[in-house]
Amino acid sequence: MTARRKLESGVFVFAVFGALLIIPPLVYIFNHPILFFGIPQIVVYLFGVWAMMVIGTGILTHYLPHASDEDSHEGDE
Amino acid sequence: MLSADFVIVTAIVYVGLLFILAYFGDRHTRANKSSFLRSPAVYTLSISVYCTSWTFYGAVGNAARSGLEFLTIYLGPTIVFVGWWFILRKLVRIGRMQAITSIADLLSSRYGKSSRLAVLVTLIAVIGITPYIALQLKAITASIQAVAESAEGARGSLVGVDDGALAFGIAAGMALFTILFGTRNVDAKEQHHGVVAAIAFEAVVKLAALLAVGVFVTFGLGGGFESIYRGAEAAGIAIYEDDPFGPRWVAMTVLSAAAIICLPRQFQITVVENANEDHLRVAGWAFPAYLLLMSVFTLPIALYGMTVMPEGANPDMFVLTLPLSEGQSGIALLAFIGGFSSATSMIIVASIALSIMVSNHIIMPIILRSSNVGQGDGQGVRRLLLLSRRVSIGVILTLGFLYFSLTGDDALAPIGLISFAGVAQFLPAILAGLYWREAAQRGAASGIFVGFVIWAWTMFLPSFETVLPWVSDVMESGPWGIGFLRPQNLFGLNDLDPLVHSVFWSLLLNSVFLVIGSLVSNQSALERIQAAAFVDVFRRRPFAHRGFMPGSATANDLYFVAERVLGEKRAATLFETAAQERGVEPSMLEPTPEFISRLERELAGSIGSASAHVMLAKVVAGGDVSLEEMMQMADETQQVIEYSQELERTSAELRVTARKLEDANAQLRELDSQKDEFLSQVSHEVRTPMTSIRSFSEILMEPGELNDGQRQRFISTIHNESLRLTRLLDEILDLSALERGERSWQNAPVDAEEALDRAVAVCDALLRQRGMRVEFGERAHTTMVDGDSDRLCQVFINLISNAVKYNDADHPMVRVSSAVRAGQFVVEVADNGPGISKTDRKHIFEKFWRGVEGGGDQGGAGLGLAISRQIVARMNGTLELVPGPLPGACFRVRLPVIK
Repeated sequence: MTARRKLESGVFVFAVFGALLIIPPLVYIFNHPILFFGIPQIVVYLFGVWAMMVIGTGILTHYLPHASDEDSHEGDE
Repeated sequence: MLSADFVIVTAIVYVGLLFILAYFGDRHTRANKSSFLRSPAVYTLSISVYCTSWTFYGAVGNAARSGLEFLTIYLGPTIVFVGWWFILRKLVRIGRMQAITSIADLLSSRYGKSSRLAVLVTLIAVIGITPYIALQLKAITASIQAVAESAEGARGSLVGVDDGALAFGIAAGMALFTILFGTRNVDAKEQHHGVVAAIAFEAVVKLAALLAVGVFVTFGLGGGFESIYRGAEAAGIAIYEDDPFGPRWVAMTVLSAAAIICLPRQFQITVVENANEDHLRVAGWAFPAYLLLMSVFTLPIALYGMTVMPEGANPDMFVLTLPLSEGQSGIALLAFIGGFSSATSMIIVASIALSIMVSNHIIMPIILRSSNVGQGDGQGVRRLLLLSRRVSIGVILTLGFLYFSLTGDDALAPIGLISFAGVAQFLPAILAGLYWREAAQRGAASGIFVGFVIWAWTMFLPSFETVLPWVSDVMESGPWGIGFLRPQNLFGLNDLDPLVHSVFWSLLLNSVFLVIGSLVSNQSALERIQAAAFVDVFRRRPFAHRGFMPGSATANDLYFVAERVLGEKRAATLFETAAQERGVEPSMLEPTPEFISRLERELAGSIGSASAHVMLAKVVAGGDVSLEEMMQMADETQQVIEYSQELERTSAELRVTARKLEDANAQLRELDSQKDEFLSQVSHEVRTPMTSIRSFSEILMEPGELNDGQRQRFISTIHNESLRLTRLLDEILDLSALERGERSWQNAPVDAEEALDRAVAVCDALLRQRGMRVEFGERAHTTMVDGDSDRLCQVFINLISNAVKYNDADHPMVRVSSAVRAGQFVVEVADNGPGISKTDRKHIFEKFWRGVEGGGDQGGAGLGLAISRQIVARMNGTLELVPGPLPGACFRVRLPVIK
């Protein structure tokens, strides 16, 4: 169960970290007038974080237990 | 070339296609439990009902006006779905366990199945969603007008038709369509598989359309991302924003995250229509991916539109007007259909969700309370339910239309944000309901209400600013001139973006009232049960709470109710299954509490938990139980309670008695050991003189050469020893008699001073023997105390003789003083002897205690002080050892003076 707990904490941290990355003050780090492939840095950054969250969630979910085969006595808090 | 007539016909055909899709979708899922329509992909696509025409048209407009800000609307939900394991999974599990039918049902069910809370939430949801529906009407109207104005003669039959009339036609068509679509039946769990299938289809259409327009504009017209950005920069459009990440950015992210949970239509799709909890696993990443795809081309379209479109063109319609202006009818038509799709899917799901709430929580409870369920024909309740839902849909779209025609021509995004902020008021109560057991109904209701009022004042009202003069007056100078209450400067909070201002105040006060209200109020039993069922939904096995007493309703009564709500077929199936499980004939089925709560859940799936509870309560508890029976039941309960209270009281008394007995026992043991000690000490004391008497008499009995002198001395010793023995025995007798209170005397007024003088006189011989004298200190005059003169004299003699006997100083002296202080006669007898060591001080009044230095030749048995203390105590006085004027010991006697 400890592996499962760690995984749940990981999902939580991932979501919180994702949220922190898209709000100030962290976004300021990437808000400079620089172009990547002709696109402003901040746009590339925000879409990059977004894509990372999609992929990361997909990977983490893969390891989370299914509702159908989990025992009913789990703790989620 | 597109014409208005053509797109209207296209729209109608498209709606017909949706209807067919929904119809066959419904049939397909009914016939086939594992239909692909129940797949995670369809579930995810249906969640994207979140992307309305606000996304399709409005996001580009928002990007054109405020740059990157439009992204917050999609980043908030992304965060919520990334963390799906925590909130969404819990909501879905609770939704399944409690057969939740709507967000109002969720909150009502969590907070003790409160009907009032459900009504409050429903009303707020209806008012809050009204701007959102208006937004869709506005977008469809604007898109048709855009087509109509795109070319000469494109107006067709719309000549002379203004926005209002067009919007009214659209609203009416939508109402009709939604009624046909969503209220064909009252389903088991309020699930609409056909509708979901159609919504999923629309999700594909709008994504495909937006991507097609995006690719066309970006690569076909703009020549790729790079050249669009370069072109925009060349045209003087700021592509580097100074600072979009202010409080507004955070507020919008929070709002959109709240909205994906709290919007009635999102709740309907994500929780109520969820067929399998595991579908969330896919939605967790696929829905954010969908949002990402929907947003990829927003900024390029906006920038390109601003670069090439004429000044004053509505950026909200760039998605449609860019292809139109290039003469690309095909792509323009696709864009129109995409926009139409996003608007219709929102209107359909939102009005279905709202109509369920209105009918379950407002109309049904009124009917249930005012009439008897048992009356009417068999299909009564179902028909009523459907009718009330149809009427609700009509009302909701009418409200949307009214809002549209009343408010000014704003951009799309700000209208949507008004709705977001309205429904976000549910968020504190939902989160507290999921994670905080103590959250109580009163707190939730007051929090939501206060949040709603603040929202209505600071956000909803200002949206009428341009059309109602008094609103702009209020915003300018406050109501009745109270500047403190100006809607956008509430409580003197100025210099804040109006959206941030409203979100801050409403959510802050909402949460404050929720928390304080919960802390100061008590939860009812049902509320506590529901709170535990919600908070610990993953911890416990599915349990049936004992909502109703068995035995007060027959299976027939229950069947009667079930048939009316669920329909004949489902009711029969339910009862037959239950009978089979129990192994009895359906007609012999006994309604157990478990069965009743199962039935309640089934009913809740159709009419909401509060209504189901009321309905069953009528049948199970109210309908068939007479007042007398109720009173009797209450009486019996009362008796049981009293009996148990009495038992509790008795057992408490027993505990006290047992403790007293224990104490008494310990005391007895203590006394017993004291007695043993006393006896052994007495034996020891008696033994010494006896031994000497015996040995001397043995010598005397021997015939021998004892001369007369010796004989005389021996006999005198024997005499002395027997005197000492007698004195000892007398003292023992005296003490034990005093202790038992036997040797009593009548206290009478006596002159204490006289007794003291007498004692000094008696001791005179002893003093002379030692060559000592009594030194008198201060002396009181004749003082009367209540006591016995001889006994008092005995006490003084004892004290003085002790002072003499134990004094080994070179110039021994005794100092006696007496005085009257504070109504007390105080005598002090002090000496300059060795004093009494600290360790001995607490023992001196014990029996047989003798001063160590005094040795054994003093002739005392060590009972003198014990006896003296007893005597003084009987005269209501005290005898104690005090620090005295001389180096040695000082005893003080205090006796109350008689006036």
